[in-house]
Amino acid sequence: MRLNFVYWICLTLCAGPTFAEPPTVSESGQDLVDFDTEIVPVLTRFGCNSGACHGAAAGRRELHLSLFGSDPGFDFQSLAREFQGRRINLVQPDESLILMKPTEVLLHGGGNRFDDDSDAAELIRKWIHQGAHRHELRKLESFAIAHRKISNTLDSTTFSISATATFDNGSTMDVTPWTVITVDDPDAVQIDLQTFRAHITRPGRHVAIARYLDHVTPLIFLIPFQNETHETHSIESANFIDDSINSLLTELRIPASEASSDTEFLRRVTLDLTGRLPTPEEVLSFTHDSSPGKRTAAIDRMLASKEFASYWTFLLSRWLRIRAAPQDVEGAEAYHSWLHQQIADEIPFTEIAASLLLAEGDTHDVGPANFYRTTGGPREQAEFVSEFFMGSRLRCANCHDHPLDHWTQDDYHGLAAIFAEVTSGRIIETKANAEVIHPKTGDAAVPRIPGERTLQNAEHGRSTFTDWLVSDTNPYLARTIVNRVWKEFMGRGLIEPTDDIRSTNPPTHPELLKQLEIEFRRSNFRLKPLIRLITSSSAYQRSSRPHRDNEFDQQFYSHALSRPMSAEVMCDAISDVLGLPARFGDKPLGTRAVELPYPQIESKELDVLGRCERTESCEGSETMTGGLPRFLHQYNGALINTRLSHSTGRLADCLQSENSPEVIIEEFYLRALGRLPNDEEWNFWRDELKNSSNPREFLEDVVWSLCTCQEFRTNH
Amino acid sequence: MPVIRSTLPHQWNRWSRRDVLQIGALTAFGLSFSDVLRLQRLSCAADPQTRQPAKSCILIWLDGGPSHLETFDLKPNAPREVRGPLESISTSLPGIGISECLLRTATLLNEIAIIRSMTSPLGEHNLGTHYLMTGYKPSSVLEYPTYGGVCAELLNSESALPPNVAVPDFRVGGGNLTGSGFLSAQTRPFSLGADPSKADFQVRDLRISRGLTLDRLNRRRHFTTELDRMRSMANGQGGTADVVDPDLQRAFDLISSSEAQSVFQLNDESPELRSRYGPKSVGQSCLLARRLIEKGVRFVTVNHHGWDTHNDMYTRLKEGYTGARTPVGLIPSLDLALSALIQDLKERRLLDETLIVVMGEFGRTPKLNVNGGRDHWPRVFSVALAGGGIQGGQVIGASDASGESPKDRPVTPSDLAATIYTLLGIDPKLELQTPDGRPVRLTPPEATVVDELIA
Repeated sequence: MRLNFVYWICLTLCAGPTFAEPPTVSESGQDLVDFDTEIVPVLTRFGCNSGACHGAAAGRRELHLSLFGSDPGFDFQSLAREFQGRRINLVQPDESLILMKPTEVLLHGGGNRFDDDSDAAELIRKWIHQGAHRHELRKLESFAIAHRKISNTLDSTTFSISATATFDNGSTMDVTPWTVITVDDPDAVQIDLQTFRAHITRPGRHVAIARYLDHVTPLIFLIPFQNETHETHSIESANFIDDSINSLLTELRIPASEASSDTEFLRRVTLDLTGRLPTPEEVLSFTHDSSPGKRTAAIDRMLASKEFASYWTFLLSRWLRIRAAPQDVEGAEAYHSWLHQQIADEIPFTEIAASLLLAEGDTHDVGPANFYRTTGGPREQAEFVSEFFMGSRLRCANCHDHPLDHWTQDDYHGLAAIFAEVTSGRIIETKANAEVIHPKTGDAAVPRIPGERTLQNAEHGRSTFTDWLVSDTNPYLARTIVNRVWKEFMGRGLIEPTDDIRSTNPPTHPELLKQLEIEFRRSNFRLKPLIRLITSSSAYQRSSRPHRDNEFDQQFYSHALSRPMSAEVMCDAISDVLGLPARFGDKPLGTRAVELPYPQIESKELDVLGRCERTESCEGSETMTGGLPRFLHQYNGALINTRLSHSTGRLADCLQSENSPEVIIEEFYLRALGRLPNDEEWNFWRDELKNSSNPREFLEDVVWSLCTCQEFRTNH
Repeated sequence: MPVIRSTLPHQWNRWSRRDVLQIGALTAFGLSFSDVLRLQRLSCAADPQTRQPAKSCILIWLDGGPSHLETFDLKPNAPREVRGPLESISTSLPGIGISECLLRTATLLNEIAIIRSMTSPLGEHNLGTHYLMTGYKPSSVLEYPTYGGVCAELLNSESALPPNVAVPDFRVGGGNLTGSGFLSAQTRPFSLGADPSKADFQVRDLRISRGLTLDRLNRRRHFTTELDRMRSMANGQGGTADVVDPDLQRAFDLISSSEAQSVFQLNDESPELRSRYGPKSVGQSCLLARRLIEKGVRFVTVNHHGWDTHNDMYTRLKEGYTGARTPVGLIPSLDLALSALIQDLKERRLLDETLIVVMGEFGRTPKLNVNGGRDHWPRVFSVALAGGGIQGGQVIGASDASGESPKDRPVTPSDLAATIYTLLGIDPKLELQTPDGRPVRLTPPEATVVDELIA
């Protein structure tokens, strides 16, 4: 059963009360309690089969249930058949253990789950009375709950909740009492289980997860941030991206910041597309250009540059975690240069994916074969493949079925079994008779496309998986790549974290993500058209200067988010400002940090700036290192100091050409910040200059501060 | 994006207007602000009803999850696959045994309280670490601050040293934790990035680089501060001091402070004392931790790596390397470090004001696995505490016969958090503000102080 598009299905299902016939069951099952669809939901609703109780891999005490009722047959065995059926008393249903424990008539380690006179107890009693059979009357087909609720006021708001299940025999049932609702943020959302109401106490977008049987659906609650609607005149719409973003901003009544200035835009887009700061010539010619299409022209010019290819190779190397194997750098170098070629040649992402997944050969010659040297074994490879290509954390399903997603242990070990045939070490090839043991059965796991189907004997696992992944109907590949690319430009994924895409972690802007996926497919999985779309939007081109009323916003794109530069980009930027390259290991002088093929190349500077080691995902690595060690290094370390006063550095050149301090300050402002000083800054520097006796030292300190200030350190 | 704090630091909130006026009056008589604080403390100490709270905390973090069954909760009578390879030895507490590798610690149990009934549902490194270090289970909407971050936020410090320091680093529990949670980045631990047990130990970039002077560095700091301030003015953010990264100033303070320069000189200690702490990283880190808290650092995390013993547990925990004549593994190294720290602090009369906490993110499976190791087990595990006003010489709670579940008096990491905060003189019900103005209690509402732990 697929859950990922439940979101969209729900829209139609919830649209009207046309399904609202009274709860019925099929004729043959008149009055019969169905174990699978009525008793199991009780177990889930009251937490009996959760991971902390009987749903744990080892069960709890004597009783073991499947996690969240994923296996009703197993649960039926446990409850009705195990120990000669001692948990059921057909003669006196009230004396049954499965009633006396949860109602705490008998001592129960899990305490009182429901009362003796509750609907839950009544249902179980009735089921036992009818003989405690497993009729398998129906299967759940869909589960609908009004999934998106918008409030008109920011005062605390109450919404009612109503959930309907539709079964394969055509019947429907109101399952609200048996739906489990988990909220992400209990401080903001309280669910009243007596009245089936959600009480929201904070403005913003809140997510709750509704679960019935094995179906899960997110519920979104939107509460505006202010009572009065804001003027939205400043919100321009350049393409469909803006339509979606602006409509959510309007619903939440968050004002948008104004458009970025030319210098702000140029610095941002140059950093994002090429990993570099704009040169003074580029800044001046761009600001003097009065043609209306100059921003689009700048985007196109940079997309075509070779710097774009280098920088995006760097970004993808981080996604792919390209690292040198121990005592073997040739593989990583081959991998990196292959990747560079793919980006430069605009190879569709589907082809890149296929090359990686199907690669074989000597990793020193065949770049993509190094994909199989990223991790250590088929299980880790399955986890990496699921995270990288599908944005899914399959790893949770190693030891138990995924509690928040539809992944099962069969999916996990089945995907691992597909990669069992791949050899390890320098030569990647197919080995015969390779297998992965399924921990539940103790036998070889059957190769399986996760969430889809078990492979036939004759099928070649990797080819079949690859065909499925890159097919037109595959929901994962486009979504995960689009979401990652979006994050590189916007500072936040439409789904966060980007490797945790699941139906219970809904995107902030579902329609937008869907439309971007469609566009990505339409352009044959090529990066550049997608990037052109994103960078052309008003949302991307907004100023990062917040308003008083949108300063708090970190996820709705009311203003551009300032992003810390990665260690590599920052290091290159400092080199460019100071006019001298940094040295990285034994790489030829002049090599840029973003061109380094793997992160083990020695550089104290990159270490102190917090470069990502790529042993794990690089998400968030920029913010992990504290500010204190970085500032200590700026003050006393080599990063700036050695090159700042060097006789062949840019500052020495400027001083030699006997430019005035003002001209030199201007030059370094353009280099470091991509703009000229404003009036207040001029006044400040002129005052300071008057008080300084040594112009050379004064200018060194100015340049140092330009390479240290917040405006320099961030892409904003 | 910088977190902009709109409220005053919280210690201010705890003083009434009258207190502030008194402080003002006293300072007018030539007493410094810190004198006033000292006077306040003295007056507290004079009152027999109120105990002086601990001033600082040293957390010895056993990263990876230490086996309770090999350290503080041995099961000598259990079957072999549960009992494991280490023997239980008697201690200064009659009837209480701990690991044979905790030889010295065993003689000091009068100073130590062991909780044997810690319990948590989180058996993954990052999740468990978040729970144990913050008192909150991780949530997708909010990252909570660690004890160290809260101490940095709430406890005032008169030192140029950062209030929250991690030795040798803060790479804990898989490395996802920043330490500051929703508090400002400045409450994060200052991670030394250097190991005090190494001969060339030196905190990176603390000394002024050749050719520069403190005046030059100060001017650079000034220029940068002004650039940040002018930018925030231009951005309409009011040009308040908040927009300047306080770490810029703090780094400068560190460089210019002679105290900061000298505190890291472990060679100032006698070779005899240095060897008492043991030659390993955890030992020398504990020694440095003592030097740091003496200079006013509020919270030191001594990060002891390597406790994730899925395999070769015996060698890793006891011997250190196969066939070692004198055991130099994780537990003997911890034993040297912990016993030396307790005794050293006691000799310096600092033990009462310094809380020592020894823990990791969870315990380990009751049954040995096929690789001679134990896997993650959060359902029951042990934590040890010493100094800082705890009642030593007791074991709180117990696990069942196989060390699988708590037998009585279960203590959650939230309860432990409430207890640690109480010992540090911080009200566990105190509310902090997130940057978006949400009030968050220091500990969850269900957290209960472990009363018998407090002397």
